[in-house]
Amino acid sequence: MELLEPLQKAIEEISKLPSIGKKTAQRLAIFILKSEPEQVENLLSALKDLKTKVKFCEVCFNLSVENKCTICRSQKRDITKICVVEEPSDIFALERTNEYNGLYHVLGGVLSPLSGRGAESLRIRELTERISMGDVKEIILAMNPTTEGEATILYLAKYLRSSNIKISRIARGLPVGGNIEFADQATIGRALLGRSELE
Amino acid sequence: MVLETVELLNFRLHRNTKIKFSEKLNYIIGGNGQGKTTILEAIYYLCTSKSLNGSADSEAVNFSEDIFNISGVFRDVVKNEVRVFFSNDTARKEIYVDDKQIYRASALIGKFPFVKLTQSDSSITYGSPSERRRFVDSVISQSNFTYLGFLLEYNKILKQRSALLQRLLEERSSSLYRELDAWTENLVLAGTEIIKHRISFFKEFISYFTPAYGRIIENSELPSIRYDFLGETDPDKIFERFTSAIKESRTDELRRAANLVGPHRDDAVFFINDRDLRKFGSQGQHKSFQIALRFAEFFYLKDKIGKSPVFLMDDIFGDLDAYRAQRISGFMQEIGQGFITLTDFPNFSHLVHNHADLIINVDNGSVNYAA
Ligand SMILES: [Zn+2]
Repeated sequence: MELLEPLQKAIEEISKLPSIGKKTAQRLAIFILKSEPEQVENLLSALKDLKTKVKFCEVCFNLSVENKCTICRSQKRDITKICVVEEPSDIFALERTNEYNGLYHVLGGVLSPLSGRGAESLRIRELTERISMGDVKEIILAMNPTTEGEATILYLAKYLRSSNIKISRIARGLPVGGNIEFADQATIGRALLGRSELE
Repeated sequence: MVLETVELLNFRLHRNTKIKFSEKLNYIIGGNGQGKTTILEAIYYLCTSKSLNGSADSEAVNFSEDIFNISGVFRDVVKNEVRVFFSNDTARKEIYVDDKQIYRASALIGKFPFVKLTQSDSSITYGSPSERRRFVDSVISQSNFTYLGFLLEYNKILKQRSALLQRLLEERSSSLYRELDAWTENLVLAGTEIIKHRISFFKEFISYFTPAYGRIIENSELPSIRYDFLGETDPDKIFERFTSAIKESRTDELRRAANLVGPHRDDAVFFINDRDLRKFGSQGQHKSFQIALRFAEFFYLKDKIGKSPVFLMDDIFGDLDAYRAQRISGFMQEIGQGFITLTDFPNFSHLVHNHADLIINVDNGSVNYAA
């Protein structure tokens, strides 16, 4: 049976979303079709607001409603530290830990020559400009533990070394609270090789 | 570890074959093209989710069907049922361990260890360095997940770095050179770990290999294996050696836009009585060397993993003289469970066998054996 055109169109658009297959898209489209009109209106206006009201922070490129994000505007943050991340979603993850009180900088990706992404496509110039303002004492590199993340860390470590600041990276290895018994063996092996001496 | 049963559905010639194996040797006997190697291949699929000779999964589906299904029960401390399913319609392969789906083939490596000895092993001693690297990598990967991780990562870095070198052919900027430095450092870090693992592997492996070689051919020949990285064998000096070598090759690498230094270009050299096997070895010495490598692999993996691998031997006895056939089959009796294909029955009289061994006759995709 041919699907009705509006339904087909909706399914097509929904399935363009990441990690949504044709089947899930179909289920979501039918769900929306069956929903109350008011509920659908709410969804539509939420999506519209998301696109029109949310922009990138002009300092750190975090998501923000204002020109500057809440973190950059806060008086309570430690402005001597900048934690460099790949995407805004990484900030959410780091913030949830409540372990970090410094500022952030969203790079907007990682180096990947295979997909044509070089240093010029990352917000590195913006980062050096922030450093040159003089308040920053430490840069923390918090890339994902991927091949490309690693190369980006090595690049930034070299590139920023000249400036008179401390450069550190987040540890790569076992998740705390994770049981060694259940961690995957490659992770354990890595953690062993990257072990540090106790003082 | 023992493979208790296997069940093949629409797998090549086998439309529906069930076998309950012996815990000792399983001789699989049949003429050419009757489907005896297919049984080894099915076992290989269970251990690796891949075909034996690199052929496409779709080719393994019985010509008049759309799917194949292979399942088997391994017994160690516990029992595990492994199932590999392939559908021509979706061109998708599904792997299950105890009904739980496994999404990455690499997650299966080392879980159900195996050793395979086939005719194509001749490329290990006769072939190019890449054939020897493939042998070494497969042995270490089965026993060491960290190594497998570094290997996968190293290969990714090679691809990224070569894309960058390509770009540098067209466009030279200080920013791109800095990127190259970062990828070079990344390459050296991962590559150093691979080389260090290989050095310590060979150091241990030789103590398995020398006695295995002595079991296959009884004479005073002394085999050895030499592995070094650009002349360096001290694990603590590899990083330094790699760093300086890649610096020296920089101009060449930029000109040819290729990764010219690293463990992806390594070789291991085989010797018998200090003479290079590849240059001076006789056919018999090559054969003995290949067989001894697999026996050494078996005992090495058994010690490292703490599980006895299943031993697959495809069509090896055809071109061995009675003396060697007898010694090798005697050696096989010590390993635990093995699967051996034979083309003709007369050969069988040379082989050492045990009352617990099973003889499986394969004829046009169906099997019969005395259970
Ligand atoms: Zn901000």
